[in-house]
Amino acid sequence: MIAKDLHKSFGDFKAVNGVSFSINKGEIFGLLGPNGAGKTTTIRMLSTVLAPDSGQIIIGGHSMKSEAEAIRSIIGVCPQDLALYEDLSAIDNMIFFGRMAGLNSQDARTQAMANLKLMGLEERAKGKVAKFSGGMKRRINLAIALMGNPQLLFLDEPTVGIDPQSRNNIYENILGLQKKGMTVLYTTHYMEEADRICQRVAIMDGGKIIAMDTPYQLKSQLGSPDKVTLEDVFLKLTGRSLRD
Amino acid sequence: MKRALLITLNEIRLFIQDKGDLAFGILLPIVTFALMYGAFGGQTLFTATARVVDEDKGAYSTILINQLDQVQGISIENLTLQEANSKLERSDLTLVLYIPAGFSDTLASGGKAELTFMQRGNGGQDGQILASIIRGVAERMNQQFQVAYQVSNQVTNNLGNNVVSQGRIKAVVAEMLNEENKQPTVAVTEEVTGGSPDFVNQYVPGIVTMYVLFSLTLSARAIVEERKRGTLERLLTTRLSPGELFFGKFLASIGRGFLQTVILMSLAYAVFQVFTPLSFLASIFVILIFAAAASAVGMIIASVARTEDAATWIGVVFTMLMTMLGGTFFAVTKGSVLEIIGRFSLNTYANDAIRTVINSGGSLSGTGRAFIVMGGVIVVGLVVSRLIFRAVPGGK
Repeated sequence: MIAKDLHKSFGDFKAVNGVSFSINKGEIFGLLGPNGAGKTTTIRMLSTVLAPDSGQIIIGGHSMKSEAEAIRSIIGVCPQDLALYEDLSAIDNMIFFGRMAGLNSQDARTQAMANLKLMGLEERAKGKVAKFSGGMKRRINLAIALMGNPQLLFLDEPTVGIDPQSRNNIYENILGLQKKGMTVLYTTHYMEEADRICQRVAIMDGGKIIAMDTPYQLKSQLGSPDKVTLEDVFLKLTGRSLRD
Repeated sequence: MKRALLITLNEIRLFIQDKGDLAFGILLPIVTFALMYGAFGGQTLFTATARVVDEDKGAYSTILINQLDQVQGISIENLTLQEANSKLERSDLTLVLYIPAGFSDTLASGGKAELTFMQRGNGGQDGQILASIIRGVAERMNQQFQVAYQVSNQVTNNLGNNVVSQGRIKAVVAEMLNEENKQPTVAVTEEVTGGSPDFVNQYVPGIVTMYVLFSLTLSARAIVEERKRGTLERLLTTRLSPGELFFGKFLASIGRGFLQTVILMSLAYAVFQVFTPLSFLASIFVILIFAAAASAVGMIIASVARTEDAATWIGVVFTMLMTMLGGTFFAVTKGSVLEIIGRFSLNTYANDAIRTVINSGGSLSGTGRAFIVMGGVIVVGLVVSRLIFRAVPGGK
């Protein structure tokens, strides 16, 4: 995935201001930043929901400008907020989004069951999502993003507000997907999380990328990587003032 | 197209899963029907209280009052002249029957007696109906006196005085007139078919089309609800195109509005007997096209509304405007300003089409203009809504 000099404004507000980065195949890439840094707008542009004012996006060899549909066929998105039909069962949610991702009815059902099993939810397949716990909903949210076997997965804070067990389950699954060759763009506010699973991270602030490297190299800039945390680096680069 | 249908099926599934929504969707047409039936169904009996000032208090004034009291739906309230004047002054009453002193004596002596209607203005609609009923009763009494008088004269002329007593003559005449009343020579019977023609022509099309317009509000909320749920953005990152999303929502909205209206119309068909089988089918076809036009307008609202409240209020205001301008609750005079403004209401065309279909027994001829307008709204609505839709407010 290549993003080159992306710009996006809403009125006078420049949400994204010249963002460029690339993600290698099979890499887990972290996009970090305080609230309002431009992470979600960047993901919305990369996932074809928003058109950039200028700049270029190429995913899997397809240009966003001319081949948005081809891009949508190889990406999966797990949004920050839960995006589920709570009145439907887990399996019905999965099958529906699987069909939207281009699967036929049989394949959608097979993949839905496999992904539910991956998330430890196969026994609750027919349960109404509304009755699920927060952690279960988060796992369903991620499982839906996997429907259609995407090559590039966008995970926008997939572990917000859940217990350590569910969070650990999600980490393990993401690492498992990476081993199968999936590329992941991951945003989070949990720095130890990014340090643990991301090969490289970019730190955004004010709509720009202010640092981009491996967690180890970023920590090395402040001191010994064993003593410095990624959060120290983050606070050093973005400051300690409140953003919202 | 396949994905648009999947969106439609998903909407229907969500509708069925939401028990409250489902119950509301099915119960609403039944409740609406019950209200319609209560308001307009079958025959209506005129009921009124006849206020009477009886200054005569004689035999014939008593007979007159008793006969009035026997008329179905009429009850009697006796007033003094002072009370009647006072109530008329205050507009508590609009019409009072005044029976003057000497009324019975005048009749008994073969003279011409008079009754007076004391009324305010023209007596009002009820007063005029009541006056008509009183005139009918008085006319019947008058006929009885005329017949009794003529029979008495004939008997006296042919047989001479005192051969048959006047009392005997009156009793026989009264008995014969009673028989005649029970089994009149020319009898009039009533065969009731459905509700009143005013209801069929004026209100049925208006209420049905107003009902279809409720689906406009539902479709107006379709996109906002998807956005609020967070599923809109997720859907737009799949292979589903915005056009397919809109068309799927559009079809679901038509289906829901159409289904509810068919329930309402079927009840109207079964109970009011408003339709013939052919006019029922033709009306359903009109409703289907109108539901599509309403849903297309709803999709425009869905494209611009940012919140559920905004979508609902725009939908409700639009529905009420279209309903009022379409002449749902009152007849619109041809050539009036309201008729000219009403041409901007979708309901006007749908109402006209349904009235034409009902009055012609099911023929669609004469409905061409209505179908052209509704078809145009469908096309324009879908195109405009797609053009102004933004997945993210302020985005492209």
